[in-house]
Amino acid sequence: MTSTKAIPLSSRPVDVAIVLSLADVVKEYPGPPPVRAVDGISLDVEAGELVAVVGPSGSGKSTLLHIMGALDLPTSGDVVVDGNAVASMSDRELSALRAHTLGFVFQEFFLIDGVSATENVAQGLLYRGIGPDERSKRARSALERVGLGGRLGHLPSQLSGGERQRVAIARALVGDPAIMFADEPTGNLDSVTSGEIIELFLALNAEGSTIVVITHDHELASRFPRQVRLRDGRLEMS
Amino acid sequence: MKSKLRFADTLGLAWLGLRARSGRTALTSLGIAIGIAAVVAVIGISASGRADLLAALDRLGTNLLRVSAGQGILGGPAELPEDAPAMTARVGPVEAVSAVARLDATVRRTELIPEVETGGLSVVAVEPDLFDVLGGEMAAGTFLDAGSSRLPATVLGSVAAERLGVSTLAYQQMVTIDGQEFVVVGIADGLQLHPDLERSALVGFDVATAEIGEAPLSAMYVRVDPTSIDDVVEVIPTTVNPESPDRVEITRPSDALAAREAADAALTQLLIALGSVALIVGGVAIANIMVMSVLERRMEIGVRRSLGATRGHIRRQFLTEAILLAAIGGLVGVGLGAGITWGFAAARGLPVTVPIEALFGAVGVALLIGTLAGLYPASRAAAIPPSQAVRGTR
Ligand SMILES: Nc1ncnc2c1ncn2[C@@H]1O[C@H](COP(=O)(O)OP(=O)(O)OP(=O)(O)O)[C@@H](O)[C@H]1O
Ligand SMILES: [Mg+2]
Repeated sequence: MTSTKAIPLSSRPVDVAIVLSLADVVKEYPGPPPVRAVDGISLDVEAGELVAVVGPSGSGKSTLLHIMGALDLPTSGDVVVDGNAVASMSDRELSALRAHTLGFVFQEFFLIDGVSATENVAQGLLYRGIGPDERSKRARSALERVGLGGRLGHLPSQLSGGERQRVAIARALVGDPAIMFADEPTGNLDSVTSGEIIELFLALNAEGSTIVVITHDHELASRFPRQVRLRDGRLEMS
Repeated sequence: MKSKLRFADTLGLAWLGLRARSGRTALTSLGIAIGIAAVVAVIGISASGRADLLAALDRLGTNLLRVSAGQGILGGPAELPEDAPAMTARVGPVEAVSAVARLDATVRRTELIPEVETGGLSVVAVEPDLFDVLGGEMAAGTFLDAGSSRLPATVLGSVAAERLGVSTLAYQQMVTIDGQEFVVVGIADGLQLHPDLERSALVGFDVATAEIGEAPLSAMYVRVDPTSIDDVVEVIPTTVNPESPDRVEITRPSDALAAREAADAALTQLLIALGSVALIVGGVAIANIMVMSVLERRMEIGVRRSLGATRGHIRRQFLTEAILLAAIGGLVGVGLGAGITWGFAAARGLPVTVPIEALFGAVGVALLIGTLAGLYPASRAAAIPPSQAVRGTR
């Protein structure tokens, strides 16, 4: 607080800028033997950041992402997402937080089969109570943002892996989330396609999106402005 | 800021889930469809039968009594006293009386057929007014009148006509009664309350006594004021046969229909019970498939939770899916059941009656079954923690 006072609010709105804050977060899965998948992590993510979380398999990356994304609660420690202290929130409140301020992308895309790309993306607005016309309209523009303006009516089965992941990314960003999480988004893609997806994240970030990407690929991570290294549930200083 | 799923979208999701697995949807809803179809058809058919019965009772009336002499002392057929019709007609509430005499004679198609082969048909002497008293109809020709009663003319009951091979009176048809040729002047119909008359050749009393022989009265048909039936039943035995009133038998032909209706009702209940078993089996099938579906669709549940679905939204989605599944089965079943009823009634010449309550009831039952079947799978789906669901099968 003291440091912010010294600088005029107009030029550096510090408190507002932090969209995600973890303080000494621990996640222990009950045993036997109990596993400390996340072991005391403190981390802030500011609005407009593009962060890569890197670490070997089993280092706790997914667990950390679930906690950051309010999909799971920590055993101890504080998580504040967009100004909301997650620990004290009910299932409904957490769901509302996910519906309005968070977006997720998964390794396996998780698209709905037999439904067009547009309808898949529109699902991203389903739990906000928005009407179908408005949903479709925004879904189409989201698909254009990820470069799939020519694939609006395609079914997932008619799309390549890279295109499917773009649809999933469009679904995550269609609601303009305060922060978007991606767990191994390139895990099922070849290196060329992976590079394109990373380019997309960089482009979206340049447009202002706040994005946290998990990957175990150091080379891909090295292209991101900020990297957080994880080992055995702890942060490694870089 | 709230997580909110519109009702129309909940329905859309359920429809999407069923459409994505259309083959499974069809097979699963089949159980409900069969159960509902069975129940609706049974209710529809029995209602159509009852409507037919009521129409018949309406037409034939329930105020008709058949009075006959019981068994004779030596076991042979007994006769009513000659003045029985006149005495009975004098009873106040009696509106009409017509006596018949069962003759000791056979009816055959031709002389060439041996006498023993009578086909279970009998010959009965009747008054011309019998038909009005019974309220019958003519399938062809006319009933006996004062003139034809004196002539070798006969009216055949519908069964007798069929057995004798007389289906039309477009040309003159003859039958042999007691070795003599009789002209068929009419074929009677609508006597379903009187199976004995349906299998008889009816002739006039005059020709019977002149050509065949003695015609002792075997029965009387008595039409009574509907409000005084019980009183009449009480006085008739002493009126007819003052010496031994206990030998007089009184039946009410419409009772036979009522008995048939009671038997039908028992059968209907059995069939409805069977249909209900099919419904329960159908419900269990839905529950089973939905539990399987929840296991398979963990990922989808995870994604929806990540998109902001609450536990309640997930529960509602799966519950609605189960209800919709049952509703599809229910609607198909109602259609099938109504179709079966229609076909059955049309084939039997019954009036088609499918009670509207049965249709709504059937759909309501289907919805209830869907709800019950969906509750458990839906709460299981809702209980999966989001972080577990997005991890997939673990
Ligand atoms: N539900 C659970 N119950 C018990 N242990 C768990 C559970 N989920 C994860 N773990 C354990 O927590 C540790 C971290 O798992 P996590 O999935 O976060 O790793 P990760 O870094 O994402 O690995 P990967 O790169 O393979 O996806 C692992 O040792 C894992 O076995
Ligand atoms: Mg992982």
